[in-house]
Amino acid sequence: MAKMNKKWVVLCSTAIAAVYVAGYWTTEIDKTNVLINTDYSSPSVSSSTLEGDSPQVSDSQSQVSTKYNNGTYIGMGSNRRGTIQVTVAIKNDRITDVEISDFAMHYSIDDVIGMPEEVLKIQSANVDNVSGATYSTRAFSDAIQDALNQALRA
Amino acid sequence: MAQWIKTPKTYILIAIAVYLSIASWATHSMSGIENGGIAAGTAIVVDVFFALIKKRKRILPDGAAITGLIVASILSMNTAWPIVASTAGLSIISKHLLVYKKKPIINPAAFGLFLSIPIFHAEQSWWGAFGDLPGWYIPLLLIGGYIVTNRVNKYPQVFAFFLISFALTLAMAYFHKGDAFDALRPPFINATLFFGCFMLTDPPTSPAKTRDQVLFGVIAAVAGSVVYELYGGLMYLFIGLLAGNVFHVLMQRLTANRPKSSSKPSSKPKSKPLST
Repeated sequence: MAKMNKKWVVLCSTAIAAVYVAGYWTTEIDKTNVLINTDYSSPSVSSSTLEGDSPQVSDSQSQVSTKYNNGTYIGMGSNRRGTIQVTVAIKNDRITDVEISDFAMHYSIDDVIGMPEEVLKIQSANVDNVSGATYSTRAFSDAIQDALNQALRA
Repeated sequence: MAQWIKTPKTYILIAIAVYLSIASWATHSMSGIENGGIAAGTAIVVDVFFALIKKRKRILPDGAAITGLIVASILSMNTAWPIVASTAGLSIISKHLLVYKKKPIINPAAFGLFLSIPIFHAEQSWWGAFGDLPGWYIPLLLIGGYIVTNRVNKYPQVFAFFLISFALTLAMAYFHKGDAFDALRPPFINATLFFGCFMLTDPPTSPAKTRDQVLFGVIAAVAGSVVYELYGGLMYLFIGLLAGNVFHVLMQRLTANRPKSSSKPSSKPKSKPLST
């Protein structure tokens, strides 16, 4: 088979670059619109939005904690491979419930399936790094920490 | 030696070795290089083992070294060494067991990496393709990719793959289907470029004719894009390549079964018989 002519190489490369740029531009605008409409919650957006809100479930009557406010908090953790959203319930300075409320990563959810129980056990976001699942572990840990940061008493 | 340096395998080997070195330097970590040694070492050992069993005269595991380095550059740098070694081993086993006319049917690295997801729950980062680094490392990928693609003479295949992949991603964005945003940005764009230039072009498992190359690239792009749009994940590129590999084998079988006389122009009548 003959080698492709250089002119064709340049022409094809230009056409591919044009299609790529069109896609990049379209998705950039799309993403911006979504963020403006707040339909999509990126970690930073969710954090800032929720910081001003009161916890979804709160029990101010039985407020005996010293570090965290009682209630249920939503935390987000993300990296280049996607996002994890967790719901963390806190009562009397103890994490009483952890749930992975949304898993939008390109990895398997099986990587982090046992981590909510680990958080309940260690009462911290510093879960053990699962060998071979570093990105998922970090995103989950960040999501828990995000929720705990929201629960911190001012 | 001088001839070996000019071979396509040497080009790929040098390009991937350079990429791994740059990525390790930029990430200030040697774990990727260590994984590269483990994967390449395992791949070479398994390849030599099969070569001895098959009593092959030529035992030069340069292809196995490339497969090992590709595996190491795609698996996450933090992958445990048994998973790295097992993935490289599975790749080489597939190379020797899934064969047609003594040639591998399926790209070994792609097959091993594909299996590593359900078997080992292995995370893939494409760190060797600069997936964890800023976007301005991408031109380095393109330079090496163009050199290798030119050397293996696979421009039609690579261009068809990229054009259809990006066009389908653009369509996904337009119709708000799937996660087109991720697909066009690191680390997924790094994965697509590295995959298209260094894995799709594997000479034994991809066609040589221009028409077949274009079809191969289109099939790989369509299959991969559909899987990405429906399921996301990490398997989409490998599934696309496996679809292309199956097409390539079917084409080989069809060509082999075709009667030789029908393909020869000389067998056709040179001119219409004169009507009387």
